[in-house]
Amino acid sequence: MTRRRSNHVGAKPAGPRLWSSIEELSGDPAFQAWVDAEYPAAAEFTPTARRQFLKLMGASFALAGLAGCEKSPFVAALPYVDQPESETIGVPRIYATAVTFDGYAQPVIATTWSGRPTKLDGNPDHPVTMGRSDVFMQAAVLGLYDPDRAQAPTRRGEPATWQDVVAAIALLRGSWSKDQGEGLHLLIGPQSSPTLLRQLDALRKQFPKAQIHLHAPAGGAARRDLMAAVYGQPLDLHYVLDDCDVVVSFDDDLLGPGANQVRNARGWAASRRRSSRQPGIRLYAAESVPAATGAMAGARLMADASRMAVLAEAFAAKLGISGAASGDLTPAEQGWIEDAAKASNAAKSRALVTSGSYGDVGTAIWVARINDALKSAVLKFSQPVTGPSDAASLGDLVADMRAGKVQTLVILDCNPAYTAPAGLGFTDALKQVRSTLHLGLQRDETGELCEWQLPLTHALESWSDARAVDGTASIIQPTIAPFYDVRSVHQIMAMLLGEIDPAADAAVRQTWRASFGGDFDARWQQALYDGFVEGALPEVSATPSGNAKSEKPAGKGLDIVFRPDPTIWDGQFSNVGWLQELPKPLTTLTWGNVVTVSPALAKRLTIANGDNLEVMIGDRSVVGPAWIMPGQAENTVSLSLGYGRKRAGRVGDGLGYDAYGVRPADQPWIAKGSLRKTGTNETLAVTQLHHRMEGFDLVREVTAAHPSLAKQETPPSLYPPWPSAKNAWGMVIDLDSCIGCNACVAACTAENNVPVVGKDQVIVGREMHWIRIARYYEGEADAPRSFFQPVPCMHCEQAPCEMGCPVHATEHNSEGVNQMVYNRCIGTRTCSSYCPYKVRRFNFLDYRAPPQSPVHAADNPDVTVRSRGVMEKCTYCTQRIESAHAAADKENRGLREGDVVTACQAACPTRAITFGDINDPDSEVSRLRRDGRHYALLEELGTRPRTTYLARWRDGGGGEG
Amino acid sequence: MTDQSDILPVNQSMGGVSDQLTGIPLHFPAERRWLIAMLFASLLLLMFMVSVVELFTRGVGIWGINIPVNWAFAIHNYVWWLGIGHAGTLISALLLLTQSEWRNSLNRFAETMTLFAVICAGIYPVLHLGRPWYLYWMFPYPATMNVWPQFRSPLEWDIWAVLTYLTVSFAFWYTGLIPDLAAARDRATKRGWQIFFGITSLGWRGSAAHWLRWSQAYRLTAGLAVPLVVSVHSEVSLLFAAGQIPGWHSTIFPPYFVMGAAFSGFAVVSIIAISLRSWFGLKNLVTDDHLDLLGMVLIATGLMTAYGYVFEIFDALYSGDAHELQTLADRMTGAYAWTYWGAIVFNFIPLQALWWRIVRRTGWMLMLISISVVIGMWLERYMILVTSLYRDFLVSSWSHFTPTFWDWSTYFGTIGLFLVPFLLAIRFIPMISIFETEELLHEEKEEEHG
Amino acid sequence: MAERAYGLLAEFESPEALTAAAKKAREAGYRRLDAFTPFPIEGLARTLRLPRPKISWVGLIGGCSGCGFAFLMQCFTNYDFPLNVGGRPLYAFSAFAVVMFELTILFSALSMIVAMLWQNGLPRLNYPLFAAEQFHRASKDRFFLCVGADDGKFDKDRTSGFLQELGASSVESVGR
Repeated sequence: MTRRRSNHVGAKPAGPRLWSSIEELSGDPAFQAWVDAEYPAAAEFTPTARRQFLKLMGASFALAGLAGCEKSPFVAALPYVDQPESETIGVPRIYATAVTFDGYAQPVIATTWSGRPTKLDGNPDHPVTMGRSDVFMQAAVLGLYDPDRAQAPTRRGEPATWQDVVAAIALLRGSWSKDQGEGLHLLIGPQSSPTLLRQLDALRKQFPKAQIHLHAPAGGAARRDLMAAVYGQPLDLHYVLDDCDVVVSFDDDLLGPGANQVRNARGWAASRRRSSRQPGIRLYAAESVPAATGAMAGARLMADASRMAVLAEAFAAKLGISGAASGDLTPAEQGWIEDAAKASNAAKSRALVTSGSYGDVGTAIWVARINDALKSAVLKFSQPVTGPSDAASLGDLVADMRAGKVQTLVILDCNPAYTAPAGLGFTDALKQVRSTLHLGLQRDETGELCEWQLPLTHALESWSDARAVDGTASIIQPTIAPFYDVRSVHQIMAMLLGEIDPAADAAVRQTWRASFGGDFDARWQQALYDGFVEGALPEVSATPSGNAKSEKPAGKGLDIVFRPDPTIWDGQFSNVGWLQELPKPLTTLTWGNVVTVSPALAKRLTIANGDNLEVMIGDRSVVGPAWIMPGQAENTVSLSLGYGRKRAGRVGDGLGYDAYGVRPADQPWIAKGSLRKTGTNETLAVTQLHHRMEGFDLVREVTAAHPSLAKQETPPSLYPPWPSAKNAWGMVIDLDSCIGCNACVAACTAENNVPVVGKDQVIVGREMHWIRIARYYEGEADAPRSFFQPVPCMHCEQAPCEMGCPVHATEHNSEGVNQMVYNRCIGTRTCSSYCPYKVRRFNFLDYRAPPQSPVHAADNPDVTVRSRGVMEKCTYCTQRIESAHAAADKENRGLREGDVVTACQAACPTRAITFGDINDPDSEVSRLRRDGRHYALLEELGTRPRTTYLARWRDGGGGEG
Repeated sequence: MTDQSDILPVNQSMGGVSDQLTGIPLHFPAERRWLIAMLFASLLLLMFMVSVVELFTRGVGIWGINIPVNWAFAIHNYVWWLGIGHAGTLISALLLLTQSEWRNSLNRFAETMTLFAVICAGIYPVLHLGRPWYLYWMFPYPATMNVWPQFRSPLEWDIWAVLTYLTVSFAFWYTGLIPDLAAARDRATKRGWQIFFGITSLGWRGSAAHWLRWSQAYRLTAGLAVPLVVSVHSEVSLLFAAGQIPGWHSTIFPPYFVMGAAFSGFAVVSIIAISLRSWFGLKNLVTDDHLDLLGMVLIATGLMTAYGYVFEIFDALYSGDAHELQTLADRMTGAYAWTYWGAIVFNFIPLQALWWRIVRRTGWMLMLISISVVIGMWLERYMILVTSLYRDFLVSSWSHFTPTFWDWSTYFGTIGLFLVPFLLAIRFIPMISIFETEELLHEEKEEEHG
Repeated sequence: MAERAYGLLAEFESPEALTAAAKKAREAGYRRLDAFTPFPIEGLARTLRLPRPKISWVGLIGGCSGCGFAFLMQCFTNYDFPLNVGGRPLYAFSAFAVVMFELTILFSALSMIVAMLWQNGLPRLNYPLFAAEQFHRASKDRFFLCVGADDGKFDKDRTSGFLQELGASSVESVGR
C-alpha cells in the first residue's frame, strides 16, 4: 500500500508505474514492437482479434508463459525471455479493485508478483472499509487459484467451445424472440453491479415477458424482506455506530460475519475508544445463539429466538410506546430491559435498537417503532444496494417450472440445487426445463444438472463493477488475465443480448461512459486508480407502517434457527482451504459444522460434544454432531448452513451435514422442531480444547471506576541489556476491540504462506496458524462472559525459546524481533517446548501443496515456503519490515510511523492491533504501552514480551460502565 | 561392607573359575536358549528398522506429537534408557572405589549393559529431529555460513555429555576386559578364537609392571566415571528444568533424575544378574549374597527417588505459583493421572517387600520387583514429559497426547536394539570378570589360612 | 633351544611362593626380574622395585587441557559469530561450564588409558614368553618369575638351579 501511495497516475511515477490493466500493458508501444517482431502474423489481425491476441500474450507472459497447461497453468514456470517494460522482478505491482461478497463490493488493494495476485488488503481510501477487511475478502485470492474451477464450457458434462455456446445462444434467442421471451427465466443471486443490472434491464427490454428470480440463501436479502414487511418498501439499513452511544440488539449479530461486518466493527471500535476513562459506547444484546455481538456486549441476555418479539415489545412498553404490552418476563429479562431502557433514554437520538436479519417480523416491527420513537439519528435508510429489486422469488420459479412454464432457465451466480430448501424440490422441477444454462465459477451441484455450464471469470480476472454496502461503486479491473477458457458474466450477458465476441471491458465502459460523461478517460483512469467512485446511495426516510403484523413460528418444540457459517458462509467458499481451516469464532471448530445446543438442553438429553444428533423439522431431518454452546438460550438449537456439499471440489466435498436439507421454504431462519441422539458420535476438529480461564489473569479487565491496571514492574534480570538498533518493534493488541472475527488469522495465512494441514492434522493438534484467537469463558456455563485474545509470537526480549535452540536457528535481531531461521532449523522442537505461549508451529509432515497444484501461485515470493521438519512462527511480517527499510533507504531517510504495517494489523476491522517502533516515544504503539490498560501476558515469567495487550473494559450494563 | 564374610564360596579353585568363565564363550553352554532369545531380539530389532525407515521417509508426524506436546516418546525413552545405563557405571566404578569386592561378579555385564543402553538412548535424540540428516550441525565445525552451535542450549550440552559418557564407558569397559581377553586367548583351542582373542587382548601378558600401571589407570578412570554419571543425568534433567514450563522448572530435578536413573539401572542389573546366573549356572559366582546386596541398593535408591517425589510436591506448594499448583493437581487428578499413580505404585509398593531378607535372596521375587520398578520409572518419565507439556501456561494452548503405533514400535524396537548386541556380547565375551574373581577368591583363601 | 635366550621362566604354584622367590632373587643380586600373574598381587611391585607409574599426572594434564579447550572453543564460537540469544550474555560462563566439565573428564580418561597402554608397550601381539610351554597358565592359576638373559648375574645353568631351589615347579629357558 505504501508503494501505491508513491506512484500516482498522472504524476510522473517514482518507482514502478501503476499498471491499471493487462490491456494497458498490451497497449504499451514497446510491448507492441516486441510482439510485431516476435509474431509478424499479429500485424494482420483485425483490431478485435489483435486486442484479444495481445491480451492473451499479455496474459501469457504476465503468467510467465504458463497459460494453457493441462493440469494447472502454473506447472512449468518459465523465466521472462524479454523482461517487459516497467516490470521490475521482485517488485510487486499493486492494483485497486474489488471482490464481491453477498453481491456487495469488497474494495481491495491487490498485490501481484509477475502478474500473479497473491495478497488482498483493504483499500485504505475507501469510505466504508478504510482499508479493513474480513475473512472472505482475505481468502478471495485462493478462490482464484481453486484447482476445481470450471476451466472451459461444458454441455451435459462434455467439453464444448465458446463457438458452440454462441451457436446455442443464437438458437435460444430465436425461440425467445418468437413470443417476447415467454418461458425465459433467470435465477440470480443478489447483484450490486450497475453493469449487470443494466444488462438485465436491457434483456427485459428485448424480451418483455422474461422473468427474473432472486435467490439468496443467506445474507442481506433476508433483512430486506423484513424491512419490506415493516416499512412497506425494501430498504437497506445503515448503522452510524461512530456517532452512537448505546446499541440495543435483539438477536442482531451486527459485529458478526456478513457484508456489514467491516463497517459495523470499525464504527463500533471507533466509538468504543472515544474516551480513555470509560468505554465510549455500550452494547445491550439479547441473543439466542452466542455470537460476536453478544461476546462484546456489556450486558447480554439469553433468550430463545422465538421470544425476541416479546422482549422487543416489552422494551417498547418500557419506553412508553403506544400499543406495546409488556408480557410476563423473568427477573433477568426484567433487569436487562430496565438497564437497556435507562441507557437508551439517556442516549436519546444517539441510541440504536437493532433486530436480526434472521429474526422474525414481530421483532423487526417493534424495533422499527422503537427507533422511530427514539428518533434515532444513528440509523439511516437507503434504497437496496443489491438487486434486482423487482425480482420474483425462488418459490415462484419452482412453481412455474412445475407448471412447465419454463422453457429456458439461466442460473447466474447461485447454486440452488444445493442451497434451495429441500422442501421446494428444485432439482426435480429442474428436470422439466428444456434448456438450462449455469453461469458460475465451478461446475457445482447446479452446474452438473444444467445442460450448459458456462465458466465465469473470478473477480480478480474480470472487468466488472459493484457497490459496497453504502452504495459506493467500485470498478473491478483484472489483476491477471483469465488463465482458463472462461468469460466474465458481462460477456455472457452480452451474448444473451445478441453480441458476438464481446470485449471483456466493453459493457463496463459503456455503463460508466453514461455516468462519467465528458472527460470519461480521465475519470475512468482515476476510478481505476482510486478503486472506487465517490458517492454513496442517497439517504431515504422511512417510517414503520403501523399495520404490519407478525406471525409466530408454527408448531411446538425447540426453536431451530439457521445461521450462515462464519467461515464458508452459505457454502460458496467450501472449496477454499484457508476458510475451511479457519477456526469458527466461538467454537474454534474447523472443517465442519455442528448442531449447537444449550448446556441445559445437553444436560437434559445427556448430550456430549460430538454426539450425533438428529434434528427433525416436520417430516425432514438431518444428522450432525453436537456442540454444547455456553450461553445459548435453553430451547434454541442452531444449525449452520454451507456444509454437506457434494460438488464443491476436492477440498469441500463430504464435510459436515447439509442444513438446507431440513430448511423449511416458508420459515428459512426460525422453525420449530425436535431433537434426538442417534447414539453415534464423531471427533470434531477444534483448535482449542479448553475454554475456561481457570482463574488465571490471561485476559484482564478494567472498569470506569478503576480505569487502569496496577502498574507492573518489569521483573529484574541477571542479564545485561543488549543494545537496540534505531527501531525496536513492538505490538499492542486491544482486547476491548477484538471481536474475534479471524480476519487477522486469514490475512496472516495469506501473507506468510501458512500451509493448510487438513482435518486429521487439526484433530491431532497440528494447525499451523501463526496467530490464534484464544477464546475464554468466565462464569456459569449457561450465562458466561466471553473473551477473545489474539496470540501471535510475543517476541520476548529474553526469549526462552532461543536459549533452547542448539543450532542458532532462532535468535534476536537488533530490532528486537525474535527471528526464525528456517534453513538452519533441524527440528529439535526445544524452542516450542520452552515457549510459555506455545505460539510456535512445527511442520510435523510435509504440509506443502503438491507441486502440480495451482495454489502455489498464491504464495508470497517474499516468504519462504517451509519444508518438513522445520519450526515456524510469527515474524512480525519481517518481509514487510525489510521492504520498508529498503524503501526508506532509497529515499535516504529513517522509517516513519506507518511505514511498516503487519498483515494482521492491516486486516483488523477494529484496529485492535497496533504495530510500531517502541523506541519512538511518539509512535502509536509507545502511546498505548503507556496506557493505563496496558499489560504483558505472563509478565511474571520475566520474558519481557514485545507483544502486549490492553485490558478489556468491563461495563456490566448496570450503568456503572 | 562385606569384606569380612565371604561373598564367594571358597571351595573352588582359581583354575576352575577361570575355565568355567572362559568356557562360556569358548564352548557355549546354552546354544538353544540363546538362539531363541536371539531370534526374539532380532525380530524387535527388525521392527525398529522398519519404524526408522517409515520415520525418515514421512517425518516425525507419524508419532502422536503435536503442539504443545511436541516432545513425547522420543525424549521420554531417551531419558529412560540413559537412566538404565547409569547403574552399570555406578556399580563397577563406585563399588571399585569403595573396595566392595562383591561387585566383581557383576561389573562386567553391568558395564556391557551400560554400553548398549547408552547407545539406545543416544539414538533417540537423532530420531526425534525434524531433519535428522542435519544432526552434524550440532557439532562445532567451520560451516559455510560461519554459524556455530549454540552452547547455551541443554540439547547441545546433552550431545557432549552423552558422547563423552559413551566414549568413557567404552574405554573403561574395554580396559577392564583386556586381562580376561588374554585369559580367553590362552584357553582358546580353535584357531578363530585364538585370533579373535589374540587381537582383542592386545597381547596382554600379565606382567607385574603392566598390572601396576593398569590398576592405576583403571582406578583413576573409575574415579572420573562416577562424577561423569552424575553430571550426565543432571544435564538430561536440565533439558527440562531449563525450560520455564510448570512441572519442569525446579532445582530438585538434577538429583531427582540421577537417583531415578540409579534406581531403574540397578533394577535392570538385578534382572540381568538373575537371568544370567540361572542361564549359565553361575550360582557359585553370582550368589544369593549378591542378590541380597542388590536388593539393598535397590531399596536405598528407591527411597531416595521417593524423596524426590515428595520434594517435588513440596516445591510446588512452597512456591505457591498458580501454574505449578495447577500442574501438580493435574498430575494427580488429570487426564494422565494414571501415569502419576502408576509410577508411584510400580516404583514403591512392591519395593517394600525388599525389607525382608528372604525376598532379597529369592531370585524370582527380586526379578519381579525389578521389572515393576523398570515399568514404574518408564511411567514416571512419561508423566514428567506429557503432564507438563499438555497443559502449560496459556489455557488456550492446552491439548492432549496419544501415542501412535509408530511411537510404540519405535520404543519396543529399541529393546531389540539393546538385546541383540547384549546377547552377542554374552556369547563372545567373558561376562564375569575372571581375574577379579580369582583375585577375590585368593584373598578369601588367605583369610581362611591366616 | 634358541641361540640367544630371552631368559629363564620359573613357574610357582601360589602368589606367596612367587613373592618369596622374587625377594630371594633380588637378595641374590638379580636385577632383570619380571613377574607374570593372572591378577595383580599386593607388594609384588615393591619387591621387584618397580618404579611408580606416572599415569595420574598424564590424567591431570589431560583434564586441564580438555577443560581449557572447551572453554576456549565456546568463547571463540561466540566471539566469531556473536548473536543475541534470548538476551543472554555472549560469554555465558555458567552455561559453558557444562561442556567444560564433560571434556575435562573425556580428555583425562582417554589420556590415562592411552598412557597406560603406551607405557606397557601394548598392543604387542607377539612376545618371546608366549613361546613358553606353561606360560598360558599365567592368565589362569600359575605365577611366573622371569630372570632376563641380559641380567649381569645371568648364567643359564646356575640361575636355573637357583630358581629350582626357590621351589619353582618348573623352570624353562625362553628363546628370544
